[in-house]
Amino acid sequence: MRRAILVVVLVGSAASAQLPGLRKREQVPPAPIAVGIDALRGEFVAQSGSAIVYFGGDSSVLTPPARATLAAQARWLMRHPDLVVRIEGHADPSDTRDHALAVGARRAEEVRDYLVLLGVPAAQLTTLSWGKERPAVMGTAPEALALNRRAVTILVR
Amino acid sequence: MIARPAFLLLGIACLFAPASAQERAAVIAIPPLTTPDEKDSGADSPRAIAWQASQLIASDLRTTAELVPVGPDQKDYYSYPEVTAPTFSRWRAKGAKFVLTGFVRSRPDGRLTVGCYVYDTLKGAEVGRTGFVVAPGDWRRAAHKCSGIAYSAATGAPGGFDTRIAYVAESGPANNRVKRIAVMDSDGNNQSFVTAGDTIVLTPRLSPKAETLAFVSFVESQAQVRIANLASGDQHPLIQNGGMSFAPRFSPDGKRIAFSMQAGANIDVYVADSNGGTPQRLTASPGVDTDPSFAPDGSRIAFESDRSGTQQLYVMNADGSGQRRISFGGGWYAAPVWSPDGEWIAFARRIPGAGARIGIMKPDGSGEKLLTDGSLDEGPSWAASGRELLFQRAGPDGRPALYKVTLAGGEARRVATPQDASDPDWSGALD
Repeated sequence: MRRAILVVVLVGSAASAQLPGLRKREQVPPAPIAVGIDALRGEFVAQSGSAIVYFGGDSSVLTPPARATLAAQARWLMRHPDLVVRIEGHADPSDTRDHALAVGARRAEEVRDYLVLLGVPAAQLTTLSWGKERPAVMGTAPEALALNRRAVTILVR
Repeated sequence: MIARPAFLLLGIACLFAPASAQERAAVIAIPPLTTPDEKDSGADSPRAIAWQASQLIASDLRTTAELVPVGPDQKDYYSYPEVTAPTFSRWRAKGAKFVLTGFVRSRPDGRLTVGCYVYDTLKGAEVGRTGFVVAPGDWRRAAHKCSGIAYSAATGAPGGFDTRIAYVAESGPANNRVKRIAVMDSDGNNQSFVTAGDTIVLTPRLSPKAETLAFVSFVESQAQVRIANLASGDQHPLIQNGGMSFAPRFSPDGKRIAFSMQAGANIDVYVADSNGGTPQRLTASPGVDTDPSFAPDGSRIAFESDRSGTQQLYVMNADGSGQRRISFGGGWYAAPVWSPDGEWIAFARRIPGAGARIGIMKPDGSGEKLLTDGSLDEGPSWAASGRELLFQRAGPDGRPALYKVTLAGGEARRVATPQDASDPDWSGALD
């Protein structure tokens, strides 16, 4: 049921989206941030579908579902240019310590570059790699590893 | 593992040696160190310390694959003059190829003189000696030095008993670990913490004499190489600006540090003066180049790169020229570390479907050998002897611990730590 609503929201916003290169300046100035950051985070997740995108093993290539999520994230972020955003990249525990840091960094950079490509001002975005230090899911089962290979878009303030 | 009662049966102790070690392991007799001092009372008297030192030497040598220590036994006390004139025939008769004698003597200034002598009982000749003046509280270091002399005399390789191990002590839930840099003597004594646990820290790397250590900290919100002075506790970043930096390792002379630094999606190997200064870039591939490790003569650097599509091992000259891939066995190779004798490069290898294991290969890529059979082994670090590796193994529950394995193979042995432990780094011999 919830998913159905999200799809409607996504389709609705997709229809009004313009091509990145042809994007016109927003007519209406953005509303000042009067809402708390927690409320904004909730709205961001609800309207983007997810704050998280997932990757294949040892890969920082964006999958089609990841691109769709990031497109929705970009549309929302462009409506909130005052927000500072940090993209945190993660690796799974089967990666070695230092390569995990590198892969997490590459995932975060990949997400950042794609959001910029879609029109989010680069100045709004910072990146960080946690390597394999902050797993979302425990264990070494393939499903657990897959859920840890991720980049998370976090609204800082 | 040898049963303790075997040590009481001096004459036939060699029969109790494990079958695998019997061909190569030599018996060394450790009669208790003696003392010329008249005063013979109290827990910190020279005689009491001599007894404890003798036990520690035997315990050190018991951890080696090459020597089987027998003793100390109270029955085997000898006089001070006999330290340098042992009765070789007696030890020969008991099957000991070597005998270690020594003494502990108090000095007028309150310190102790500790002397150790190693003899070959077949040749009837001295093969090693060492002596120290130490504070009474430092007798353990002197005893480790005696162990080292015995090991060197018997094997020709440096002893690694007076060495330190830096590692990351871990506690707390798996998704929010508290990590602290810890340092201990290689026998597990003198545990101390270098960082407070308020921020994630990784990969401590000791300087050659274990005076400072380089490590990675998230203290300023992204991974950054920092340097800690172990005596003063002072800490500072290696470089002032730049992106994420990680994977530090000292050059053999301690003057430089090789490490990785990020610029956008590209990660390269750099080298900087260990006191700071502008880093010099050594690699320029568009992929991830990391985990640099110097050859013992400082002329070359082994590192890991995914420029071919997967993580593989490479060797280059210390100025970045002549980069050449050396690993071709399939799967992923990571974390190369050059052995102290320059003969080998240790690594972690991920094999699809078989997990991650520790292995060694020659610097030209030949002679590859896997030494462990764990599913998540990583982070190899060499013993000063070059005959053993310390590494990290994650258990089925994901909790890491430290293990040792010898180049000869065999079962990996757990190294006791007070907490879960990862990212070990074993120092060279200290002096």
